[in-house]
This record gives sequence, structure tokens and C-alpha cells, in this order.
Amino acid sequence: MIQLYNVHKRYENGVVALHDVTLRVREGEMVFLTGPSGAGKSTLIRLLLCTERGSEGQILIGGRNIHALRDDSVPFLRRNFGVVFQDFRLIGRRNVRENVAIGMEILGLPRKDIERRTEQLLEALGIAHRGAAFPRDLSGGEAQRVAIARALVNEPAILLCDEPTGNLDPTLSREIIDLLSEVNRRGTTVLVATHDAALIERYGCRTLTLEGGRLTLDRPRRDAVGLEASGLGASAVGTASAAAPPGREATQEPAEAP
Amino acid sequence: MNPITRALYFAGAALRMMRASPWLNVVSVLTIAVSLSLCGLFAMAFFNAHALIRDLGSSLTIQVYLADETTPERAQAIEQRLRGHEGVRSVVALTREADRERNRKLLDPELLEGLDEEAIPGQPVLELELDSALASRGDLERMVEWARQIEKVESVEDVAFGAERLRLLFAVLEIVQSVGVVLSLVLLASALFFVFSTVRLAIWSRRDEIEILALMGATRRFIRSPFLIEGALQGLLGAAVAIVAVGLLHLELEGLVRDVYLLNVQPSLLPPGMVMWLLVGGPALGLVAAGLSLGRHLRV
Repeated sequence: MIQLYNVHKRYENGVVALHDVTLRVREGEMVFLTGPSGAGKSTLIRLLLCTERGSEGQILIGGRNIHALRDDSVPFLRRNFGVVFQDFRLIGRRNVRENVAIGMEILGLPRKDIERRTEQLLEALGIAHRGAAFPRDLSGGEAQRVAIARALVNEPAILLCDEPTGNLDPTLSREIIDLLSEVNRRGTTVLVATHDAALIERYGCRTLTLEGGRLTLDRPRRDAVGLEASGLGASAVGTASAAAPPGREATQEPAEAP
Repeated sequence: MNPITRALYFAGAALRMMRASPWLNVVSVLTIAVSLSLCGLFAMAFFNAHALIRDLGSSLTIQVYLADETTPERAQAIEQRLRGHEGVRSVVALTREADRERNRKLLDPELLEGLDEEAIPGQPVLELELDSALASRGDLERMVEWARQIEKVESVEDVAFGAERLRLLFAVLEIVQSVGVVLSLVLLASALFFVFSTVRLAIWSRRDEIEILALMGATRRFIRSPFLIEGALQGLLGAAVAIVAVGLLHLELEGLVRDVYLLNVQPSLLPPGMVMWLLVGGPALGLVAAGLSLGRHLRV
């Protein structure tokens, strides 16, 4: 689903944000991307979203090389993604329903379909009663649920989450990751950038560690013990990466050539 | 969404943006309205001055006085020569007697009592009526120059061409035109700048929304359309206000000209098509300003 081959990102001021990163995330996987601040997690997400372009290397999304993607094709690539941010990035002028509806308005869906799908999602995420509220009136947990609803509204193939629990307390953080795991269980590929070691430990998903722009560790998914402890089914996530040996060094080449 | 629903969606988004910063939009609309009103007034002044010149031009004549001893054949030859000249509508030839008879009618009968017939002035004369197509000062100057050349023709004694007032009017009109064009351009530029700034502020206050829309896969057209419509709507509203303002002023002026100066203004002081020009020009101005602002300030 996501393949990176020898990706470098060097800024004009000489700072190297990513250095020779090669990795592969399979369809339906849930992967944590971790590392200290400045390790390159957010840069990697920005490269996937094409808000920045890599300096070298190849990035394939669903088999499509995005390195040479023309600017006017970028919006259509982005429709494959749902994006969730640490600071929620809800639009203050729009209420919860209107925030969730944006993605469908972009696609030009009929008003009736937009309303129906919005209500369904708010119901599923337990925030239907907050539909008319504005972002300023929401708690952190509610705001992040709205952000997740907005990201999922067009049923994206990939959900990218940049520190989605960064502004939440541990209980709410677990709720949000449980929610993302549920989304993943339904077939969406989920990539979560976080530096919350406790969460990573608790969920035991495949974990990619970035340090100083280099991918230093690709730890495969721990067996279902951790997931059961969190109340999720054993069939939850990452079946494709489960067979890989634990602690595999990240420098290993992906199986398929670009 | 079909194209109409889509257009309505963008218009709704534009109206929401305008509602979010009403005062800024009011200032923008008023600036456009003032600019377009003054442009309209200049157009009105120019149009009416031209109409006046056309009227005056159509009553212009050149009198070519011939020497007393000019033979009828010579007079006819000169008449033929003048008749063929561009800008001459008709030539009327008066004999010495006919000219004298006309002068007699112009003079006070009491003055003429007991006066010798020979004392009443009379001279063979060719009267040239000119076309009303004297559209510019250049046309008039060419005619004045031609009148000077006629004076040099053999048997021509004098040429009278009462074009001085018209020349003055042309000069005034040229000044009005130059001032009008410069002032209109300055006003339109200021209106352009106001819309430009309004859209810039709208972009700035919506940068979070723009970023999210872009990340969710909105195309450039989707993001830009509401801003362009906002600019066009400002222009349309400004044009509507300008039309009402110019219309009211026009009614006042027409009444004044008719009742106070007792002039018959037909059919109207308002240039034809001006309403349409304002209705097209206003939104076009807004659209251009919004487009420039988006090009300069929107990075998606």
C-alpha cells in the first residue's frame, strides 16, 4: 500500500530530515511510527501527502509512484488518505456536522447523501449528540473523534495520524487508539505517528522507529496478547507483517522493486 | 452535484465569507460604487458634450464671398470645386442681388427708409453647409485649414467660418476627457486595490480551512472559486449601487436642464448601454482583483 525506497529529504538550509528511508506498509496494516521529536515522523507524513516533495528516492502509494506526480494530480492522490492531527484542525466557523461533511462536499456528493453519511459516522463514533456544537465547545476527546470522523468520511484506503493523542490524557488516548484499531480492523491501513511509548507497548502493533531521519528499527506486530488486553479481537491488525521475525533491522529491502 | 448545484454551493460559500466580515465588504462595495459612479458621470458628461458638438457641427456654414466682378461661369466653377470636397453637405449660390435682398430683411426697415439701394451690402456668395460628422477637433482643424486655402482661390474675396466657439468646445471636451480618463483609472485602481485587500484578508482568515480543504483533496478550483465569486459579487453590488446613484443624479440633471435652462434634451442624458457596461464592468473588476489577490496570496 505504502512503499518508500531510499527516500531522502533535504531542506534548502541543509537540514536532512529523512535519510535513505526504505520501508513498506501493507494493505490493512496498522503501524506505529515513532521516534524522538525531530526524528522525521511528520516529514514522512508530509511526503506521503505531497505537501512536501522528497529530494531523492521513490514513494509508491497503491503502486503509483508519486515522486513525479504533477501538482494538479495531487488533490486526487490525497483523496486516498484520511488525515488526523494532534491539534485536531477543526474549522472553528463550522459546526461538527459541517466539519465532517467537508470531504464529501469536495467530492460533490448530493446533499442528502452527505447528511445521511455524516449522521451515520457521528453515530458510530458516539458524538451524534454533538452534531450542532462548534469546535470551541468540544472536549479534547470529542474534538479528536470529530477529526477522525472527518478523516473517515470518504472511506479512505489509508488513515494517516500525526500524534493523534498528543493533546489527550492517557484514558482518552487509549480510547482514540482503540477507535483507530477498530477502523483498521474494518480494512483501512492506519499509520500512526506517536512518541508515546506506553501506547506503543500497550497495543503491540508493528512499529517503525525513526532517529535523526534514519529508519533504525522495524519491529513487527507483537502477538495478539496486547490486543486482547485492550479489548480488541485477535484478528485485528497487521496480518501481513505478523510473520516477520521480531526486531528485524529496518535496512532490509522491501520484497518488491519500485 | 450537477454544475448548477455546484455553482450554488460556491455562491453560498462566498456569501458566508462576506457575512463573516460585513464591514470590510461594505467598504469594498462602496469603493467600487463610488468609482463606477464617477466613471459613469464622466461618460455622461463626455457623451453629452459630444452630442452638443454634433448639434453645433450640423449648423456650421462657411460663407465664401466672391469678388463683385466674378462672372457667373467663374462662380459656377468655384461652386463645383467646393461641392466635391469631403465634409461639404450642400452649396447654395447667391447672386449679389439675392445677398442684398437677404441683408435687407435682416436690417431694421426704419434704417432703410430713403436709403440708396446700392448702400445695402450685397456680394455674390457661396454658402457651404457642412456635414455633422465633425467628430473630433482634428476634423474641425482640417476644415478651418481648408477654409483658409479657399481664400487663396482666384475671385474669392473673403471666407467666413464661424467655428471659434466649436473650437473652444472641442478644447474643453479634450480637457474633460483627459481628466476623466485619468481620474477614472485612479478610481478603478483604488477599487481594484480594495477588493484585492478584502480577498487577501479573507484568504488570511481562512488559511486553516484552506489547508484542511487542500489536505482532504480539494482541487485548486474548489478552493479558489468562492473567493472569485466573493470578488464578483462585490463588483456586482458596487455596480448596482452605482447604477442607482447615476440614475438618480441623471433624473435630477435632466429635470434641471429641462426646467431651469429650458433646453430640450432628447432622448436622454444617459449614454446608451451604460447600465449594461456597469453591470458587466463591476463584476469583471471584482473578478480581476480577486484573481490577482489569489495569485499573490494563495499557496495551495
